[in-house]
Amino acid sequence: MHSSDAVREGLIALLPRLRRLARALAGQAADADDLVQVVLERALARSAQWRPDAALDKWVFAIARNAWRDELRARGRAQHLFAPEEAGDTVADGSETRHVRQLEVAEALAMLPPDHREVVALVLVEGLSYDEAAALLDVPVGTVTSRLARARAALQAHLGSDA
Amino acid sequence: MNPIDDDILQAYVDGELDAAARARVEAALAQDDALARRVRQARALGAQLRDAFDPVLEEPVPARLSALLQPGVAPATSRAVESGRVARVARHRTPRRWLMPGAALAASVALLAAGLWWWNAGDGVVRMRNGVPYAAGVLDRALDRALASEPDAQAPVAIGLSFRADDGHICRTFTVRTPPERAGLACRSTAGWALPVLGPAVPPEGGELRQAASGLPPAVQAAVDARLRGDVFDAEQERAARAAGWH
Repeated sequence: MHSSDAVREGLIALLPRLRRLARALAGQAADADDLVQVVLERALARSAQWRPDAALDKWVFAIARNAWRDELRARGRAQHLFAPEEAGDTVADGSETRHVRQLEVAEALAMLPPDHREVVALVLVEGLSYDEAAALLDVPVGTVTSRLARARAALQAHLGSDA
Repeated sequence: MNPIDDDILQAYVDGELDAAARARVEAALAQDDALARRVRQARALGAQLRDAFDPVLEEPVPARLSALLQPGVAPATSRAVESGRVARVARHRTPRRWLMPGAALAASVALLAAGLWWWNAGDGVVRMRNGVPYAAGVLDRALDRALASEPDAQAPVAIGLSFRADDGHICRTFTVRTPPERAGLACRSTAGWALPVLGPAVPPEGGELRQAASGLPPAVQAAVDARLRGDVFDAEQERAARAAGWH
């Protein structure tokens, strides 16, 4: 099997998780899927660079993180979410309440600096270990844990998560 | 005993501690309500994040994304991709940046676009799974059971040719006769009959007759040609393949 076929088949299996990561990074669904499209194209174009002994998900997630950073740079500003006010107009049955909570989480995440948002997306949303996130981001593990701690504090302050 | 600092507590919540360190934290939690409360808060935040983003895993994958991963679709040139910005990606259409070695591939992409429309029409012969179209309903049953050597003019699905593809999987061409009429290629995988090519059927033409595949759209024919390693199955081989569960 050609490496491009292996990558393509791996990407098919990975697509739901890649979309979840992109949603956590980019916020809006349409922006997130634009990001996924760029990631898929880059991964296919670079499939010869992937080595089968490397985990495909980490390789693809690194492409996603870099593509997202490229996009942030290109826009020169943080992305803004819209729609919470629309959501507020709808009847608050169970699913709408859940939808509003999801928007609150996305909004809180969007307020974090990119350094913090990507750590939250990789560790808390995608479930990567500290070591895996550090390798992917090319920073020391201590940097991952300190960013994560500050991101947690900011999210808890914004979301008022109580227990 | 060392106090439980913030780093240790966070590592505990994130499952990063070994058994001994975990036991030490749990002993401290049993003694210290404030510590236990912070663990609950951190866990509640994790649950909020998962609640917010895990539903994405269950969403149907947009066709424009799954279309990029169809076999036989050439990757975009790396130059175009590397310079492409996310914001410039066009939505709701197949990207234009394909390498086109031949008309067959162009037809394949066009057919794929048409096929995506048909999938959306959704009359139960296709289901999406992880962004990949698979046969469902009468199509799935026909691919499992029907033999081209025993054609049934009344059946909703006609099987064309069957063969073993170069990747070792068995593939079969088919035509769905119920409107909207479709033709395509199905290849057996562990998850079912994947449909690398599916599009509107074309009526048989008088020109090039090619075994049972005559009347197949050029893109289906091209997909067969791209995968065919040996010969197509004869009646006996087709029957044996069915008996073996198409493996």
